This record gives sequence, C-alpha cells and structure tokens, in this order.
Amino acid sequence: MTTFGFLFKNMFRRKLLVTLSMLSLMTAFLLFVLLRSVAVLFSGVIADTSDVRMQTTAKYSMIQLLPYRYGELIKSIDGVLNVTHASWFGGTFEEGDASDFTFAVDPKSYFQVYDTYRISSEYLEVFSQQRTAAVAPEALAEKHGWEIGQKVPVTSPIYPTTDGEPWIFDLVGTYNSENTAEETYLPFLFQYEYLKEASGVPEVGWYVFTIDDPSKSGVIAQLVDQQFENSADATKTMTESQAFRDFFAQIGDIGLMMNGIIGAVFFTMLLLTANTMIHSYRQRIPELAVLKTLGFSDGKVARFMLFESLLFCLLSAALGIGMASLILSGIGPYLPAGFALIVTPNTLIWGACLAVGLGVVIGIVPAAGANRLAIVNALHAR
Amino acid sequence: MALVHLEKVSKCYRKGRDQVDVLNDISLGIQSGSFVALMGPSGSGKTTMLNLIGGLDQPTAGDVIVNELKLNHLSSGKLARWRSECIGFVFQFYNLIPVLNARQNVELPLLLTKLNSRQRKQNAELALDIVGLSDRAKHTPARLSGGQQQRVAIARAIVGDPQILVCDEPTGDLDRSTATEILRLLQVLNQEHKKTIIMVTHDPKAAEYAQETMYLDKGKLVRRDAETNALAAP
Repeated sequence: MTTFGFLFKNMFRRKLLVTLSMLSLMTAFLLFVLLRSVAVLFSGVIADTSDVRMQTTAKYSMIQLLPYRYGELIKSIDGVLNVTHASWFGGTFEEGDASDFTFAVDPKSYFQVYDTYRISSEYLEVFSQQRTAAVAPEALAEKHGWEIGQKVPVTSPIYPTTDGEPWIFDLVGTYNSENTAEETYLPFLFQYEYLKEASGVPEVGWYVFTIDDPSKSGVIAQLVDQQFENSADATKTMTESQAFRDFFAQIGDIGLMMNGIIGAVFFTMLLLTANTMIHSYRQRIPELAVLKTLGFSDGKVARFMLFESLLFCLLSAALGIGMASLILSGIGPYLPAGFALIVTPNTLIWGACLAVGLGVVIGIVPAAGANRLAIVNALHAR
Repeated sequence: MALVHLEKVSKCYRKGRDQVDVLNDISLGIQSGSFVALMGPSGSGKTTMLNLIGGLDQPTAGDVIVNELKLNHLSSGKLARWRSECIGFVFQFYNLIPVLNARQNVELPLLLTKLNSRQRKQNAELALDIVGLSDRAKHTPARLSGGQQQRVAIARAIVGDPQILVCDEPTGDLDRSTATEILRLLQVLNQEHKKTIIMVTHDPKAAEYAQETMYLDKGKLVRRDAETNALAAP
C-alpha cells in the first residue's frame, strides 16, 4: 500500500456519494470545455481577420443588396487597391444540412483581395472562364467526398430555381488558406455571372476591398459611405475585423455569456462539493485522530485532506475534459466544414487551474479542521 | 532510571468556568519490560494518564519522561514522530480504518518510515503472523470478529517494533474467552518480545495478567501492587 493508494481508498469510501458528486463536477468541466471551445472558435475568427481588408454592406441590413456599379466607385477612392464583391447564396449541399457558406463571386478579383487564400493558377483560370464553375475549400470537398470535375447540386432558399431542382455546379478546383484560423469560414465559391443570369438579380451582397495603409481605414470608410450617403442604397464600411466583431456582437457578448454560465455552474459545484467534503471530514474525525496517534503529524493529516480534495477535483476535471473531447470529435462531422470546435492547450491549462483552485478552496476547511484536531477529544468523537 | 517516569504530574481541564482536576501531583516510574495495569473507578484519571504517557496529551504541570525524553518539552511534530517510533497504541474499539484490509491497516504506520513497499508488506505480514491472523490479511474490519479486529490493532501497534505498548481497555468490548486470548497475546508480547505494556482496565481478571497493578482514585495514585498478580509471569 502506498500513501496515494491509501488516499484513493479513503476518497472512494462512500462510492455512491463520491461517484454522484464526481459526475456533477465532471459535468461542470464538460460544460466548461464545450463553452470554451465555442468562445475559442469565435475569438480565433475575430483575431485572424484583417485590418487591411475592408467591407462595405448596405447601411441598414446586411441582407439588403447593393448596386453593381458601386465597385468602380469604391475603386476610384484614393488608397483603395483591389475591389471585389460577394453575394450570400445560403446554399445547402445535402438535404437536412445547415446552410454552408456559399458565395457568388467574381473569381479573379476575389482571390486578389483574399490573398491569403491559396488556389492553383490552373484552377483559378478554369473557375474564371467556365460559367457554371465552382471551387470548394479542401475541408468541405473532403467532408463530402467530392472529386474535381464532378457536378455539385446545391439548394438555396434565397435563390430557388424555377423548377425547384437544385442548382448544379461543376467543381473545377479546391483551395485552402495559408492562415489556419481562416479555414473555419472558407466559403464554397461559384461565378457571380451565373447567378446574375439565372436569377436576373443584377446586384451584389457586399463589397470587399484592400487598402494600402490600415491607419487610413477610418478615413477611407468615411469617404466610401459619404459617396452613397444620399442614395437609396446607403452603405456602411468598416474593416473586416470590425465587421466580424459586429457580427458576433449581434449574437451577444459571447465571452461574458460564457463566463457567466461557467461561473454560475462552478459556484454551485463549489458549494455542493464543499458540503460533501466537509460531511466526509466530520464522519472521519476519529479516524484522523487515529492517524495522528500512529504518528502522522498535524500537517501531514491536513495535507491528506487537501490532497484528497485536489484528487477529487482533478479526476472530475480529467473525466469532464475527456468526455468533452469525445463529444467535440463526435459532433465534428456534423458541423459546417471548417468549424472546428477543439480543446486547445489553453483550455486544458485553464481546466487544470480551475480544478486545482476548486480543490484548494473545497479542501481548505477540512484540512484546517484536521490540522487543529486534538487527538484526545477527536478519538471519542463518535 | 525507569523507562517511564512521571514527576509531579497534574492535569486539569476547563469546562466552561469550572476547572476539573483529573490528575493530581502524580509521581511514578515504570520499568522497562514490565506489564502494568492501571485500575480505578470511572473518572479516576486512568485514560488521561495513559494519554500523557503515550504523548497524546500534555500535562498541566510536571514532567512526563519516557526513555529520558521530556515529552512535554517536545513540539507537536516531534511528538508525532516520537509516537510513530516509540509507542504502539491499542484501543478499546480497535479503531481500524474500515476501507483498508487487515494487512493494509497494519502497514499504515509504516508509511511514515523509509521502508519500501515490499518491506512494509513483509513487516505487516510478520506482525499479523505474530498475532495469529496471517490467513485474514485480506479481510476488511467489517469481515472480522471483535477479537480478530483487536488482534489486527495489536499487530498495527507492534509493526514498528516500539518499546512501549499503551492499551486502553483492550478487552472492554470483548467476551470473556476472546478477552483471555487478547490478554495472553499481550503477555506473550511482554515476555517474549520484551515490550513494556501499560494497560488501562476496569476488569480485575484482566489486571491479573499484568505483573503490577496501579490503582488511581480521584486523580491520585492510591496503591501499587507489584508482582502480586496471579496470572503474571510464570
């Protein structure tokens, strides 16, 4: 028998109670990891967006379209380098799936503006010339098992076909991004010209353009918006990173929500687990006195209580994090391509710190009690 | 000099505003290798005296000297180490750890030593062999009779090879025949293994196994009957 073995046996002396308490704390850690993975996904998307890429949308609603001619007007502004446009298609590849990022774009200017996207010149050439051509992010193509040259049926609730059949695109290539975080939101792209002809809609969803100096982004945004201020299609221009922040802010302050939920869960668990540990300590007062009688010092007996509490919290955390990892890898294939909910090293470190902190807070009262315990009184505390 | 020496030892407790004198200016000596029974009515201070000798409590006045070491001058940590090295305890209600089996209970004090796991196990098995419980090594206390539990407690008390065993009513919770077995075992430990045994008991028959009986009343040592017991050394 080792000291660890002794402590482990002590911890599981009331198996049902400890198992239930451990399951509760495990659930708290499970929730912590799931929520953190969502927060990490969002913050990663924001952090990796660009300040030299700007975005112009309709002033009052992102879903309102903008005139095609705005592209040339934006390009004429001093400091603007390249301009492209994109239109939200809301496509779905398989029935029942959530809508994936599917954009109608102008191929050459789009890849010029998104210069971190990597596509072979051969694929880009075919994509630019073939009206029904489309290119897919590698992750998406892999997810659906698509081969280059095959036809990809796509259903869109925004642009339904007249006969109700899916749109058919020819997959002429794949692409990825040199920026790993961007992989989470790479869209399926097809020719805008095809959409315009087929739907008869001569407008675009939004404009994206690059600028020569990020410090001028405020001035340029003002100049763009001033041009269209008194038209029927007023605009709102901002950097891409700001646009993402605004987009996520519409959902709410994610960080605050996550932290609020995690805080409430852990506070509840703190009270419940502390209650269990104190109860367990009180029941074992005569045994702790026996340990002291046998020669275990006050400090050693106190450390036993603290270590037991730490062991309990760390085991619960390990189970919770392990379970969350399994769940995240299990739901991975059902998420939109590139939306990788992962357990980052940062989350693991936070989880471990949380477990240790919780263990110390929970164990401190029994440990202090065990330290103070007078043997003679405690031996008879039955 | 005696192995255990109490010099003008007094012990009092406070109960609210009242002071209760439990031991009153007691001086005595216990020789190495003796088997001493402490008797007296309830509240006479027997267990308190045993606790002082075992280093579980401190006197209010006087000195408790064991093996020329003044226990009342030791810090809590040093006293704990001294207990682990020099004293074995046997209680009335065995005080075994319920989640550990017999061997693990016996092994428990050895966690404080530098022995490795294999040596600890061997020593624990030897101690169980001495008390005649080798075949119950893997039984938890719940699966042992009262007598067997007390044997395990005795094995735990002797596993570290202490010089002194202090026993607080070791047969108080046992029937007559089991009590006799335990007392014979203590006698063997005293005579063959040269352990100094100090035993608190209410039972005159149990005291007969000791070589000497001390009587306490109202916190004072009132009589010592040395070498008079019928069942003492053969």
